[in-house]
Amino acid sequence: MRFQAALIAFIASILFASGASATVRGIATDKQVSLQEAATPVMEAITSFHSMVLWIITIITLVVLALLLWVIVRYNAKANPNPSKFSHNTLVEIIWTAVPVLILVVIAVPSFRLLYLEDVLPTEQNEAGETVSAVDMTIKVTGNQWNWTYAYPDQGGFEFISSMVAAEDIGPGQHRNLSADLPMVVPAGQTVRLEVTASDVIHNWAMPAFGIKMDAIPGRLNETWFYVEQEGVYFGQCSELCGRDHSFMPIELHVVPQDVFDRWIAAAQNDPYTAPEVLTAYYQTQGETQLAALR
Amino acid sequence: MAGGAVKHDYHLVDPSPWPFVASLSAFILAIGAVTFMKGLVTDEASWAYFFLGKGHPWLMILGFLGIGYVMVGWWGDVIKESLKGDHTPVVDLGLRYGMILFIVSEIMFFVAWFWMFFEGALFGHDRAGHRWNTEMYELGDWATQGFTAGIHTFDPFHLPLINTLILLLSGTTVTWAHHAIQHGDRKGTKIGLLLTVILGFLFTCMQAYEYSHAQFGISGSLYGASFFMATGFHGAHVIIGTVFLLVCLLRVLAGQMTPQKHFGLEAAAWYWHFVDVVWLFLFAFVYVVFQGAVSGGH
Amino acid sequence: MSSEAAAHHDDHTPSYWSWKRWVYSTNHKDIGTMYLVFAILAGIIGGAMSGLIRWELAEPGLQVFNNGFWGNSHNYNVITAMHGLIMIFFMVMPAMIGGFGNWFVPLMIGAPDMAFPRMNNISFWLLPFSFSLLLLSMFVPGVGGDNGFGGGWVMYPPLSTSGHNGPAFDLVILSLHIAGVSSILGAINFITTIFNMRAPGMTLHKMPLFAWATLVTAFLLLLSVPVLAGALTMLLTDRNFGTTFFDPAGGGDPIMFQHLFWFFGHPEVYILILPGFGIISHIVSTFSRKPVFGYLGMAYAMVAIGFIGFIVWAHHMYTVGMNVNLKAYFVAATMIIAVPTGIKIFSWIATMWGGSISFRTPMIWAIGFIFLFTVGGVTGVMLANAGVDQAFHDTYYVVAHFHYVLSLGAVFSIFAGFYYWYEKIFGVKYNEMLANIQFFFFFVGANLIFFPQHFLGMAGMPRRYVDYSDGYAFWNMVSSIGYVVMLVGMFFFLLVLVESILLRNTPKRRPEANPWGESATTLEWTLSSPPPFHQFNELPKIK
Ligand code: HEA
Ligand code: HEA
Ligand code: CUA
Ligand SMILES: [Cu+2]
Repeated sequence: MRFQAALIAFIASILFASGASATVRGIATDKQVSLQEAATPVMEAITSFHSMVLWIITIITLVVLALLLWVIVRYNAKANPNPSKFSHNTLVEIIWTAVPVLILVVIAVPSFRLLYLEDVLPTEQNEAGETVSAVDMTIKVTGNQWNWTYAYPDQGGFEFISSMVAAEDIGPGQHRNLSADLPMVVPAGQTVRLEVTASDVIHNWAMPAFGIKMDAIPGRLNETWFYVEQEGVYFGQCSELCGRDHSFMPIELHVVPQDVFDRWIAAAQNDPYTAPEVLTAYYQTQGETQLAALR
Repeated sequence: MAGGAVKHDYHLVDPSPWPFVASLSAFILAIGAVTFMKGLVTDEASWAYFFLGKGHPWLMILGFLGIGYVMVGWWGDVIKESLKGDHTPVVDLGLRYGMILFIVSEIMFFVAWFWMFFEGALFGHDRAGHRWNTEMYELGDWATQGFTAGIHTFDPFHLPLINTLILLLSGTTVTWAHHAIQHGDRKGTKIGLLLTVILGFLFTCMQAYEYSHAQFGISGSLYGASFFMATGFHGAHVIIGTVFLLVCLLRVLAGQMTPQKHFGLEAAAWYWHFVDVVWLFLFAFVYVVFQGAVSGGH
Repeated sequence: MSSEAAAHHDDHTPSYWSWKRWVYSTNHKDIGTMYLVFAILAGIIGGAMSGLIRWELAEPGLQVFNNGFWGNSHNYNVITAMHGLIMIFFMVMPAMIGGFGNWFVPLMIGAPDMAFPRMNNISFWLLPFSFSLLLLSMFVPGVGGDNGFGGGWVMYPPLSTSGHNGPAFDLVILSLHIAGVSSILGAINFITTIFNMRAPGMTLHKMPLFAWATLVTAFLLLLSVPVLAGALTMLLTDRNFGTTFFDPAGGGDPIMFQHLFWFFGHPEVYILILPGFGIISHIVSTFSRKPVFGYLGMAYAMVAIGFIGFIVWAHHMYTVGMNVNLKAYFVAATMIIAVPTGIKIFSWIATMWGGSISFRTPMIWAIGFIFLFTVGGVTGVMLANAGVDQAFHDTYYVVAHFHYVLSLGAVFSIFAGFYYWYEKIFGVKYNEMLANIQFFFFFVGANLIFFPQHFLGMAGMPRRYVDYSDGYAFWNMVSSIGYVVMLVGMFFFLLVLVESILLRNTPKRRPEANPWGESATTLEWTLSSPPPFHQFNELPKIK
């Protein structure tokens, strides 16, 4: 769509302006009038479903508008001094009941497909032809007032707390209210399962570019999944009112190649709080220096 | 429509102070309740501390007194109007609608408590049909803190059963009173009402006794919370219903009820049946179906 | 008997300046007027709060809630929560049900008053006290050293239990309890009035649509508000008496509150709009000089909306981790509501079709309503799809959706009704030009405020944010500018009121019994403006 082209151009211009930072993909751009660019198959499905429904509801609204304009023009007191008195017409009543039903059915079918895509963990066939979970790794996310705890149970169970970078500490290439001191890191091209919970009040782990929004609820363990191929930095924000600093517990997520991820894991198992240096080193080799401000 | 004598049977009520006084009392009661629970003034030196300091019940008591005063005054006016003949058949019908609708709203209030109860009882270990719940047990340790796990509930077939029988019996006595007044049998009405009031009072006493012997508290478990709040609200309704019936008895004694006009009594009877049915549900589910380990005692 | 007993009522109308006339009132029209005045005051307060919101959000960074006079981000949350609660419970409901319902349900069905006139008055007087409790809550400790309750109008625990330990939220709970009692008593009163006091010959199937709308609304209130009362009571005991309904540590479940709340909350949104539907039907028919198209369909569409409204609540909870099949059910059930609502939209247009439309002030608002409500309605259908709601939930897309149906739907229908009945209520004509200017500014301003919020939501801007990241700056600025435009409209609204008070004795402003002509067919137009203190001493007969 035209909007999307404009959006991509806009992102490109931002990247160009900010030089050689790691490629930021998941972020809103000013004056944007579309969904964020999809980074996962789920978000792609959401985007295309949204486009379809947007078309339908736009047309419905325009039809209503056109009818209104028509009666205003054609049946105003000047144009039509003598009102007719009819108040029934079975045929049109049947039409305007049946057509919306049909439209809703048209919406519902892909809607359910999308829903099950989002909610059911992906599976694959193993060599023996059995259906097994396609999940490659699990990360556990815990919402706290007002930061996130990320734990990597499959990689030795280390965990760390990720907080917002305060406005006055924002370095080059970082984004106010979006950048976190310690990012969550995942490998590209892997199916990641997220377990989401909270320690105090309800939070919500939301990542627009992934099409994910999952409540983090004390006493419950929610589950969702994503699969990203595009390397880059993605931003999300807490999306359930959680008190004073609800606006200030953002999510920063780096998708990196498997080997970088492995190095990061090795470092993090040692000390998660210095592990981002691995990322900085990697970005430097890519000519992307700005993330040195990470710590 | 200008002027002219009133040619309809509706009741145009005189201006009345009660609604305003009641609202003001509700306001005072609310402030008093918050004061009592949390305190609105913390500075002990302040003159307002006496009224607004934590744990001080004075405003709350004032609010309750105000509301009690309004109830007496307002319903007293209603009785006066009834005696004056304002309650024509069509007004009487309106009162019936009103009472039925009020009971419907009360039913919906209990729906909230039962919903809570059933959710805990049925899905306590599998919240909202959540498919990945197995791991949740680690978190809240639901296995040990589940619905009735570790709770000694009451043996339903001791006191609760007796209480059930008491309420069922009282349902029949109130019906007796109702039929008696319809047939002009004042003596039967009086005995029926008196018995109902006594049975209602007995129920309350038994319930209080039972509460004092509970081996679980209102806090710490969802079962305890649901049990005490649901049966507690039911108990409050029993008390209200008992008072309602008592007022009817006094009115019968004062000769205010006739075979033709006795809606007060009828409304009290409806209310009583409603309270009765709520109990049957409580008994069936809170006591019988979802009982945990039954406590030895009463 | 009763004729003699009540005979002394009809001769004298008490003076406007007698305080007893209002405080002790048992007159449905006086009580209706008090409700309207109350709603206007609450609307101004709630509107001012939204002004603080838009001021704060005009630019990135902290403008208002920057630890200065207005406090910090917690206080922003307090203002949003209060804005939502005030607009819903103390502006729209009192205006539509208390104000117009009280005034016109008895008049339209040919009754001399409400069924329970004294209870009617307590329904009103509970509100100012309940409102006082709500306002008071902003000035007592909420959490830590911060005053007020900042947990949204939906009041989810644990933020509203362990997350707010001060007395502020207890005041909010009791405020809503009292407002709830007021609503339930009002609902009982309306249902009884409509069932029991229709004039001879007025069958349900001849009853005006506004009365139908009020009837359905009253049933929704009767069945949903007590559930809210239960949920609020659970919050209260969780906070103060150690119960653990919503505390996982004691076997409770925070999500259970959301079920109880939305079982009330979703019917509540139809409570807010159904009376508006009724008002719009009358206005469209009157100014098209044609009877309402498909009267029975219109009435039963509202019944259907009310009924389905009770079985869709969890569409507000798509992200709590509900079972996927359950979500699928709620998707389907929710979308079905578009069908009866569509019937209403198209029937209004069909009423205009072939008519002879005059564009008086109420009609302009009504046409604005029909279009803008459709915009809000279709974005509701978007949100109904759980799959895409995963992108939109708790973003400004939702804020845009519900302001289109509320601020541009419900409020537009209130203003439409207000001008439709202005003369009847106040006994003076309003200045049509000023009123039309108000419409213009409201229409432009409100669209400017809320349309861009769809874009913000699509780009992912979360709601209830005191400060957003820089990528959302532009459309927020547009939105805040829109607020200023609408503020001008608000100024003209007040001007209309003041002007008509000042010029009330001039001949041009002398009221007519029926200013709209013979297509205004309901019974209120057969009475003087304002009607006598007690109308229908002899009941009208309906053929
Ligand atoms: C007056 C109030 C009002 C009304 C009438 C509605 C009407 C509808 N609402 Fe809305 N809603 C709110 C007030 C209202 N809502 C509020 C306040 C919230 C937020 C609460 C909070 O979180 O704070 C909310 C939130 C909300 C959500 C939750 C979003 C989220 O939090 O993630 C959803 C999801 O399903 C939803 C759906 C709908 C639908 C399907 C309708 C339908 O009834 C709309 C039907 C109307 C039409 C569809 C238009 C006319 C029809 C036609 C022209 C026919 C043809 C149309 C089709 C075939 C599509 N609403
Ligand atoms: C009826 C409901 C209603 C109305 C009318 C409005 C009106 C407005 N609202 Fe609001 N709003 C809510 C209900 C409403 N809102 C709710 C429920 C929330 C969610 C709260 C939460 O998050 O918990 C919300 C949240 C909300 C937000 C999001 C805050 C956040 O998430 O951080 C914003 C931001 O711009 C906003 C802005 C506005 C503005 C600019 C108006 C303007 O349109 C205001 C202008 C004023 C008026 C249009 C009123 C005029 C009416 C009268 C004066 C009465 C007239 C009466 C008679 C004639 C009898 N509102
Ligand atoms: Cu955490 Cu909002
Ligand atoms: Cu809803």
